[in-house]
Amino acid sequence: MPPHPMGETAGRRDVLLMGASVALAAAGCDGPDEHGHPLHARPRGVAAEDASYATVLDLEGLGRGVLVRTRAGHAVKLEGNPQHPASLGATDIFAEAAVLSLHDPERSRRIRRDGAPLPPAELDAALAEARAALRTAGGAGLRLLTGPIASPTLARLIGEVLAAYPGARWHQHDPLADDAALAGAMAAFGRPVAVLPDLGRARAVLCLGADPLGPGPAQLRQARDWSSGRREGRAAGRMPRLFVAEASPSLTGARADRRIPLHPAEAEGFARAVAAALGVPGLARQGAHPEAAGIAAALREAGPAGLVLAGRGQPPAVHALALAMNQALGAPGTSLRLTVPPLAQPEPMAASLAGLTSAMAANEVTHLLVLGANPLAEAPAALGFAAALRRVGFTLHAGQWVDETAHACRWHVPLPHPLEAWGDARASCGTPAIRQPVTLPLVEAARGEAELLSALLGPPQTARAAVANTWRTAWGEADFESRWDAALEAGIAGEPAPAIAPALRPDWDRPGEAAPATLTAVFAPDIGPEAQNAWLQEMPRPLTGLAWGNAALFDPLTAATLGLAPGDEAELTLEGRQVLAACWPVPGQAPGCVTLPLGGGRRAAGAVGTGRGFDANRLRPADGAWAAPGLAVRATGRRAALVATQAHHRPDEAGAVPRLAPGEALAPIQPGASLHPDWAYEGRAWAMSIDVDACIGCNACAIACQAENNVPVVGPEELARGRGMHWLRIDRYDAPPAAPAAASFQPVPCMHCEKAPCEPVCPVNATVHDSEGLNVMVHARCVGTRTCSNNCPYKVRRFNWDDHRRALDTPRRNPEVALRPRGVMEKCTYCSHRITAARTQAGLEGRALRDGEVETACQRACPTQAITFGDLNAPGSAVAALRRDGRSYALLGHLETRPRTTYLAQTVPGETA
Amino acid sequence: MSQPPPQGAIAEFTEVDGLIAAVRAARAAGWSRLDAHAPHPVPEAAEALGARAAPVAWIAVAAGIFGAATAYGTEWYLSVHDYPLNVGGRPMDAWPVFLPAAYIVGVLWAAAAALLGMLRLNRLPRLHHPVFQARGFHRASQDRYFLHLSAEDPLFEPEAALEFLRGLAPLRVSVVRAA
Amino acid sequence: MSLSTAPVVAATLRPGGWGFRIALLLALAGVAVLAGAVSTLLVLGIGVWGNNIPYVWGFDLIAYAWWIGIANAASLFAAVLVLRRHGLRTAVNRFAEAVALAAVLAAALYPILHLGRPWLFGWTIPYPATTRLWPQFGSPLVWDFWGIMAHVVVTSLFWFIGLIPDLATLRDRAATEGRWAMARAYGLFALGWRGSVVHWHRHQAAYRLVAALVLPLLLSAQTVVALEFATTLVPAWHQARLPVHVVVTGLPSGIGVVLAMAAVLRQALSLERFVDAEDMDLLARLLACAALASGAAYAHELVTGLYLEDPETRAALAARAFGTGAPAYWGAVLLAVLLPQLLWRQGLRSRAWVVIPVGLLAAAGVWLDRWSLVVGGLLRERLPAHAVAYAPSPAEWALLGGSAALFAAALLLFGRYIPVVAIFEIRHEETLTEAAEEER
Repeated sequence: MPPHPMGETAGRRDVLLMGASVALAAAGCDGPDEHGHPLHARPRGVAAEDASYATVLDLEGLGRGVLVRTRAGHAVKLEGNPQHPASLGATDIFAEAAVLSLHDPERSRRIRRDGAPLPPAELDAALAEARAALRTAGGAGLRLLTGPIASPTLARLIGEVLAAYPGARWHQHDPLADDAALAGAMAAFGRPVAVLPDLGRARAVLCLGADPLGPGPAQLRQARDWSSGRREGRAAGRMPRLFVAEASPSLTGARADRRIPLHPAEAEGFARAVAAALGVPGLARQGAHPEAAGIAAALREAGPAGLVLAGRGQPPAVHALALAMNQALGAPGTSLRLTVPPLAQPEPMAASLAGLTSAMAANEVTHLLVLGANPLAEAPAALGFAAALRRVGFTLHAGQWVDETAHACRWHVPLPHPLEAWGDARASCGTPAIRQPVTLPLVEAARGEAELLSALLGPPQTARAAVANTWRTAWGEADFESRWDAALEAGIAGEPAPAIAPALRPDWDRPGEAAPATLTAVFAPDIGPEAQNAWLQEMPRPLTGLAWGNAALFDPLTAATLGLAPGDEAELTLEGRQVLAACWPVPGQAPGCVTLPLGGGRRAAGAVGTGRGFDANRLRPADGAWAAPGLAVRATGRRAALVATQAHHRPDEAGAVPRLAPGEALAPIQPGASLHPDWAYEGRAWAMSIDVDACIGCNACAIACQAENNVPVVGPEELARGRGMHWLRIDRYDAPPAAPAAASFQPVPCMHCEKAPCEPVCPVNATVHDSEGLNVMVHARCVGTRTCSNNCPYKVRRFNWDDHRRALDTPRRNPEVALRPRGVMEKCTYCSHRITAARTQAGLEGRALRDGEVETACQRACPTQAITFGDLNAPGSAVAALRRDGRSYALLGHLETRPRTTYLAQTVPGETA
Repeated sequence: MSQPPPQGAIAEFTEVDGLIAAVRAARAAGWSRLDAHAPHPVPEAAEALGARAAPVAWIAVAAGIFGAATAYGTEWYLSVHDYPLNVGGRPMDAWPVFLPAAYIVGVLWAAAAALLGMLRLNRLPRLHHPVFQARGFHRASQDRYFLHLSAEDPLFEPEAALEFLRGLAPLRVSVVRAA
Repeated sequence: MSLSTAPVVAATLRPGGWGFRIALLLALAGVAVLAGAVSTLLVLGIGVWGNNIPYVWGFDLIAYAWWIGIANAASLFAAVLVLRRHGLRTAVNRFAEAVALAAVLAAALYPILHLGRPWLFGWTIPYPATTRLWPQFGSPLVWDFWGIMAHVVVTSLFWFIGLIPDLATLRDRAATEGRWAMARAYGLFALGWRGSVVHWHRHQAAYRLVAALVLPLLLSAQTVVALEFATTLVPAWHQARLPVHVVVTGLPSGIGVVLAMAAVLRQALSLERFVDAEDMDLLARLLACAALASGAAYAHELVTGLYLEDPETRAALAARAFGTGAPAYWGAVLLAVLLPQLLWRQGLRSRAWVVIPVGLLAAAGVWLDRWSLVVGGLLRERLPAHAVAYAPSPAEWALLGGSAALFAAALLLFGRYIPVVAIFEIRHEETLTEAAEEER
């Protein structure tokens, strides 16, 4: 590969600037035609100054609705769209972080040929030439490679291209695709099927490697359903049961009521054992597992409210078994819904990419358009895609960054960020939505996929026109204008996909080959294509506490047997392919398998993303398998550079997360004795309640807080020195070995203690209480003794060891939150600027504040609504009611700091359950 | 007549005992405006001259109490009245926390007052003094002892004073004149 | 008799020898390093240090508490000598005062430099600022501001009051030799001292009074430093016994440094006559005593901490003393408690090559104790929130070495330009001795 500027290793300063989100161009005030449709506008200020827009963002090809808050034309903060079924008002880490990627100064800005920038006319000429050449050949030799496509417009345009060029072929590639699920559905029903679980109605759920609460396009919906199911179950005295059998702990596994660490080789046998115990007809082979009978009994008891989910990494037979078990339980219609898949063309993506690779290798491809995919970084190295690509004459890559694939292709075209481009998307449930730009394009030369595809058909069409055409056809000319406006305002453009009721084929059970129970590599998703996003890189991964890179995850015993201490470097060998990775033990990992997160070790992601961790794709088998036996591990004797924010094993010795049996209650929170008289809070008394039982550790609140409060990114070196700045951290506590679940997550913002220990030790009155009980930090007054942090038993205070203002003072920053200079403390404010805004608003309208009117950024983001905020003194406020709940407790309550932030304890299955 | 008027008469001794005896003799003879100079403290001579150290202590104690009270009062006024704040839920008049600084400031005042009081009582600093003009007086800070009879004494008459001093068996005597 | 004080006076007045010049050069080079470290700190901020959350304090507060400990023990020692009119005071108390003053100067660097924004240090002083905000008088850091300020002022006063008659001696010596500029300079600070026995009488009263005031002040100064830790909720720090523990375990550092200084100066300035073998003997036994008291404090800490305290405190102490903090904890016990016990042997304490290293190592042991408190105390927090340990950066080492050089330079210059031992007291003592001989 020729040397290129972006491949150079980046210095620390570059990384910090990246976290800075420097705007590339002045997003201005003149509203162009392409600009979006304002949804909300506050009474004060004109709409363009302060407005929110509904739009939709894709994850693995599927959309989640968001509202984008803009200030003076700049996108500042994303929040969930309550009307969108895949968001329900919540956001995930990827949605929260999108606004940073939008402002990434390293985004590709120029059209390039062989790495050299060219004027757009040159591209138009080249495309016209290609069009002419292809037309004569009937499209033979033309291949399109995209990510998974659910967008109706892109699907329509690709269909038109394929119709115009009969010899052309379309390939999709997604490193996270679950091809086995498709194979399982084909085996069970003979057609592709999407399984939409309703965790709110399910009474007993068995996850076979499935991670419905983990990152993914349906995470927000499923997590909300799961938490509401638990709330309703608790109120009714019948908690739903969640069983998880998996190799590596997932967010779902952490919150399971019974978790079974399972080696991938045992997965099919375990599923068969449960299916046999359930009496599923048509089993081709039996299986046995000691836990199977109990789980089957719980599922059978739940009946149609029972649910079995098979996840990524399971063999097709397990997926088919799960589908058959659901049929046997009668689950469709109750705890799940089967629909047509939202993707325009469901296909086994690994096979699709392999087909393209062999075609290229056989010189069958003359023109290749790679639209929004990055196979050079994301496909298994064993596939040989890079070598095959060199045989293609005309290669064009469209992407937001000059990434690995961009360097390997002749042409590179910058793609617009989804927040600055028109488009459309389907959610996991099939609900369509129209994507509208919320800011002027920051990259003027950018061209969307729709424009490039239409350029193959003739003169390029704008993306807006392409999208409008799609929906004009769908809705009809008469309804179009009104439905278009309504769709933009609401952020949804239609209904979810209807349920289907396919019949189980008699020969559904096709047992797989028995996998050898040797040391097995298990591949797993990580932050993946968002490697260039500094917020996501710096976010401690929920189950490992690692940031700025990945590690090979071992179970502690296997690591010890191999002589690997946490942070040691290991040489991993699979079928002759080798990679060096850091070792990190994870309690709850199934013995005999090593989890390798994908997406690390990027070679050309940018200053932020390049070279973070190791590249598991260098080991992954060419067929994109999720588990590969025969892994060899050798300790190199060296230490790996690893950024760990939490210890690898964190037992809950402080009793931070009490675990209660259903119906059990804790002692009510009572103020203890004090020598001094209590301070009376006559007016409002802000307080927060965090339901630890509902927390899935997804980190959305932490990233939302970072975005809302201009919290700086400090970079890997500083983070490794313990200088992270997150105002809200999520503590993980590993469950004791005998406990049913793997871990608990506890978000820890500032406690806003009424008897705040930080305040009396400050020599200069820089941290004091306000009249509403907020523990306020006066940055301007702080001289930086740091003694407040010493005296904070929760350690929620952060110190500006460096001056981050330059990196933060960009159009991306939230103008309502001041930037902090070097040498001062900072911490969670309970989003006091939001309190002020709401108070002002209520004052203007001449009314009292309503309960729930002030939403903190973390609360707004939380998919499970674990965070409640409000006025403790207001009669009937939700937060006051939760404080009286039997599960309510104060963290480190014996210290008598009287925190305003209190928690709700976890509920675990009782002895009898 | 070119000589300035005499400032006093001075006798030089080599031994401290000579000085002590001389001071006692001078007091017995009714001299009131006299001073003794020595390179080290001579408590007997000081007693004979009627010096008392207690005022230094009283000044220090009074200043210490005043300083501590001022510090406490200032802390109380500023915290309770001038800019009251809710600090960690403590009452504004959280009196125990005002005590350490008041105590330290009191000690500071007392120590400073001890020095300043001592200097004030000694009427120091005074860089010029007639006695410095006495012959060989620079050895008063090293190894010699001096008895100085001031001209302001009603008994003073140069020749008589010299005569009296000579009677005390000094090393030498001389008249001190302003330069 | 004029011969007897001559070496002392001559030592202060004659141009330095080669040994002195090299030592001063080295010390000044160290001060230059300090200046570099301080400039770096001010320009780049305390991010150049190795601190983090929760280890917000490290070398800064360790060095601060350590220097204060040296200053306190040395002042305490000097004041006790003055008050008890102990024979030793004539020889040693001026060093002790000088050591104390130099140590306070070194210590006073840290409360300012450790701030995130040192240029706003003035906000801890109650003055009517434009913001109308006042210091928060309940903060131990404000107590500490008063404590260190009073410490600097009172230690200086104590030292200066004792120095006035000696400055007069130097004034007169210089005048005798015809060095008028030097005489004027000394004369200005001698305030016109003319050796009046009445003045002497009040001077002695004031001197003893300030010495008496030094005692409670020193106890409070060290206590206030300890209170900065004891008033927090950190389990290893939140103990009522901590102030006493810090005062007692600080003693070997100050006495050790005074002992080592005395041994060095005795050799370097040929002052054997003024700092005689008996003085050294007494001082060495004092160090052994202080180390024993320090040992008792550790024993008390271990017994109460491990058997009587609540589980969190027990776990915190166990981590400090038996976990990863063990090397510092037991290193402190070895150097500051056990090593000085060698000095109980007459044969050892009479040798300079023994007392100099033992004195300095005792001070190093106290430094380890402060490390064990400041860093080791955070090994166990209330919540297991963090994985990252504290490691000092080169900038912190430069600051520590630089402050030691500042201390050394101050002492060298002190030894050169100001009488090392109190001239007037030696004179006094000799007079008394001769009187006694005559009586015999």
